[in-house]
Amino acid sequence: MPQVSTNEFKPGLKLEIDKQPYVIVSNEFVKPGKGQAFNRVRLKHLLTSRTIDRTFKSGEKAEVADVNETQMRFLYSNQDGAIFMHDDTFEQITIPHKNLGDTEQWLMEDHVYDILIYKGEPVNVEPPIFLDMKIIETEPGIKGDTATGRVLKPATTESGAQVQIPIFIEEGEIVRIDTRTGEYVSRASDKK
Amino acid sequence: MLEAVRQFFKERHVVEVDCPFLTASAAVDAHIDLITACVNDQEQRYLHSSPEYGMKRLLAAGSEDIYQLSHVFRNNERGTRHTPEFMMAEWYRKSISFGEMIAETCDFIRLFVGDVPYHILSYQQAFQHYTHLDISKTSNEELLALLSSYDIVTHLTSKASDRDALLNTILGCLIEPRLGQQGLCVLTYYPASQATLAKTTILNGEEVAERFEVYYQGMELANGYHELSDSQEQRHRFLKANHQRIMMGKEKLPIDEKFLEALDHLPDCCGVAVGFDRLMMLRHDVRNIDQVIPFSWEEI
Repeated sequence: MPQVSTNEFKPGLKLEIDKQPYVIVSNEFVKPGKGQAFNRVRLKHLLTSRTIDRTFKSGEKAEVADVNETQMRFLYSNQDGAIFMHDDTFEQITIPHKNLGDTEQWLMEDHVYDILIYKGEPVNVEPPIFLDMKIIETEPGIKGDTATGRVLKPATTESGAQVQIPIFIEEGEIVRIDTRTGEYVSRASDKK
Repeated sequence: MLEAVRQFFKERHVVEVDCPFLTASAAVDAHIDLITACVNDQEQRYLHSSPEYGMKRLLAAGSEDIYQLSHVFRNNERGTRHTPEFMMAEWYRKSISFGEMIAETCDFIRLFVGDVPYHILSYQQAFQHYTHLDISKTSNEELLALLSSYDIVTHLTSKASDRDALLNTILGCLIEPRLGQQGLCVLTYYPASQATLAKTTILNGEEVAERFEVYYQGMELANGYHELSDSQEQRHRFLKANHQRIMMGKEKLPIDEKFLEALDHLPDCCGVAVGFDRLMMLRHDVRNIDQVIPFSWEEI
């Protein structure tokens, strides 16, 4: 992969540091007390999302990470993993279950997901922030139950996620869930 | 504001001078890179990084207290507060004490930021206060550990030649942004290794530089010295700086012999250089130096 110097650093640029993929969050040129200038770069690890601050000697070169972000449509799952297809090229890939992590619970047929490809391997799958899905299992809400202080109840969505929903939502209803937190956002209608 | 600045100096009987920008020899500093120009198809000249050398020759020749308002040039410096060509206000005062020079510099800065108080902190005190480290007793490994504790990964190591760079990284990342939040903060008595063109003195048994820098809202605005007037010591520092440059893979710079000759005749004085553009950034409450100059480096 090509090398870039600190003069070319900008947010969004992906670098490989110590064999790990990072994205630049911010880049600051610092020259304290007329001493040696350095760049203070905030980097976010593309897989763990952990951020670090790293200093680079001004003018130093770093390697661009072999990272691609693409969007693919989830088709189905089998014992090997989840099968995704690219809408434009019709290319299909199988992502092993272990690479799916938390996203496995948000996989819904025919929905599009952000896939991160590092050195040719799909390493991360991100769901859309909000997903509309059907509640397939939950206890019926008892009218007047708010007197006991309970407002949420556990439920299972069609994708297999365990979420907390208001007690007035019944099985079969479609709800909007925030995939970052697993929280109920609102009722949703049954259209794709 | 240029008018206000001229008025400031007029009131104090400081005379304006206009030393040339294209110099034959260079300001020899390990950390300042100069922009060169090829003149008459053969002569290499340097765009000055400060009018200091010319101004000191004038002082040595018997001039009054003087100031210069001019563009200065630095290579490889670009960021939200740095641009290769920027404006400096630089002045020299004979027979003024270090403390009086600090006070006058703060008065100058107040022209732009309003009537704010200033307080003085030594370099050592600043480290003590903001990082709880006594730098006279702290090893390089401990400096690295401090950076690590803030999740700052550095390209530096614990070897002796990296010490100043380690101190500078801590200063730049952890201390400077917090300076001058309630008024002007004046940092004084830098390590002797960072004296450049300042005299040194002994403070609490340590050799320190009679150097000060003024900060406001986390931004460095001024760099001042009790000026060194010993040409032998200055030559020694220039040679050391050139050696450092070579170690860093940079080119050696030609030493200004006329400057060194004049230095022995330099009257006792203090001098300061202030970043005019950064003062304008504060005055207009903007975060990027490009917003206070007519055409940015990329736009021109």
